Amino acid sequence: MAVGRPRPRSTRLLVVGLVSASLAIITLDYRQGADGPLAAVGAQAQAFMAPLQRAVTTVTEPIGDFFSGLANLPSLQDENERLKRELADSQTQAARNAELQSDYQAMLDLLELKGTLDPTGVPAVVIGSGVSNFDWSITIDAGANDGVDVDMPVVTGTTDAPRLVGIVVAANPSSSEVQLLIDRDYRVGGELSVSGETGIVIGQGDDDLRMDLISPGTEIDIETEPVQVFTTSYEVGEATGLYPPNILIGSVSRVFEGTNEIQTAVSVRPAVDFSALEFVLVLRRGSEAGGSEG
Amino acid sequence: MIRRTVAIVVVVITALLLQSTIFADLRLLGVRPELLFLVTIVLALLEGPNEGAIVGFASGLAQDFLLNEPKGITALTLTLLGYGVGMARQFIVSPSPLLPTAIVFVGTAAGIAFQEVVSFLLGTFNHPVTYAVKVALLSAAYNAVLTPIVYPLLRRLSEGARPRKVARF
Repeated sequence: MAVGRPRPRSTRLLVVGLVSASLAIITLDYRQGADGPLAAVGAQAQAFMAPLQRAVTTVTEPIGDFFSGLANLPSLQDENERLKRELADSQTQAARNAELQSDYQAMLDLLELKGTLDPTGVPAVVIGSGVSNFDWSITIDAGANDGVDVDMPVVTGTTDAPRLVGIVVAANPSSSEVQLLIDRDYRVGGELSVSGETGIVIGQGDDDLRMDLISPGTEIDIETEPVQVFTTSYEVGEATGLYPPNILIGSVSRVFEGTNEIQTAVSVRPAVDFSALEFVLVLRRGSEAGGSEG
Repeated sequence: MIRRTVAIVVVVITALLLQSTIFADLRLLGVRPELLFLVTIVLALLEGPNEGAIVGFASGLAQDFLLNEPKGITALTLTLLGYGVGMARQFIVSPSPLLPTAIVFVGTAAGIAFQEVVSFLLGTFNHPVTYAVKVALLSAAYNAVLTPIVYPLLRRLSEGARPRKVARF
């Protein structure tokens, strides 16, 4: 390893300068939040990265499909090498076709969903995900130029079962950042399908969501029939919430018996498989409605 | 100098891109590697504390700007990490080829722990301790596994971008 001869004094000065700069950035960002100049620089950085992420995703997706196609090959011990190669090619192609068919169906479902749920909604493709292990977010290829704005809810699924994905937290000209439902800072009002009781659904990272503030004594029996959780449109004064009602959040997976005297809590398994999410729909009504959270 | 700066910028952007696309799916027990920690540590090992601190600051800032979290924490973490690893390297004398892997493991785990503590002190860390420990250890292990691939690449790049010495007679 070639390590240059250190000059301790200048190096120490450099580190002190960089640490001071970092502390200044932390302070500035902490004070000014989403309205400060650093947030604007962040938006520029995200806008710069979006086309690159889109390109990388486009390039690497067929490679992933290729490997998944190979992984599904049946055993062909009695066949010769030529037939094996032909079969491999066919299987890979078939896997790719199945993938395309699946994508096509997902887009059809999304278009149908857009027609019924929000004709002005913006369909988008997922082009990347957050860079940190402590941040559950995705990047989509629709931005402010397409009419996407901060606080718009994002869904996926079909007209029969629209499912909540998250909410837009940053809108750049050609891409947007969506905070996922499972992020630990995420909060949304939820309503239980059987009892109609409401509560607050909170993201828990890779674990199931948690729904708190359900009235104490609420009977929730997930053994006899599945209990699902949907968004509910709160009304605070004359303003309505950000989320349209009846978007599926997930299913109750566990009831915390006798949580305490003022509330009952449950675990909720998200309805969306976030690891396989490719297409989403940004709803514009939420923003137009304005008003309160959740 | 310009060639070197461009090379480092390309490495940082590539690491960010890989982390937000391919490695978002290639997780180790639900945790992805921290490629910018890996790049900072390896360059600090190769080039010393000065460059380690500069690369750490630049790559940390780049990651901060892509996060919807308080900015500057990763820059602070990676600046200190790059400097610390670069300084420590001068005092470690071992011919073992496993040395970079071991330093990457320890450096990543310590760096993530430091970042979590700073986030906690700022009131922005709302994850359970068990998850924090899991992320620190698994990211460190993932980075250590990637070191035999990344280290030779960065060494080659670093040597290629170094100004050539001219002998005058």
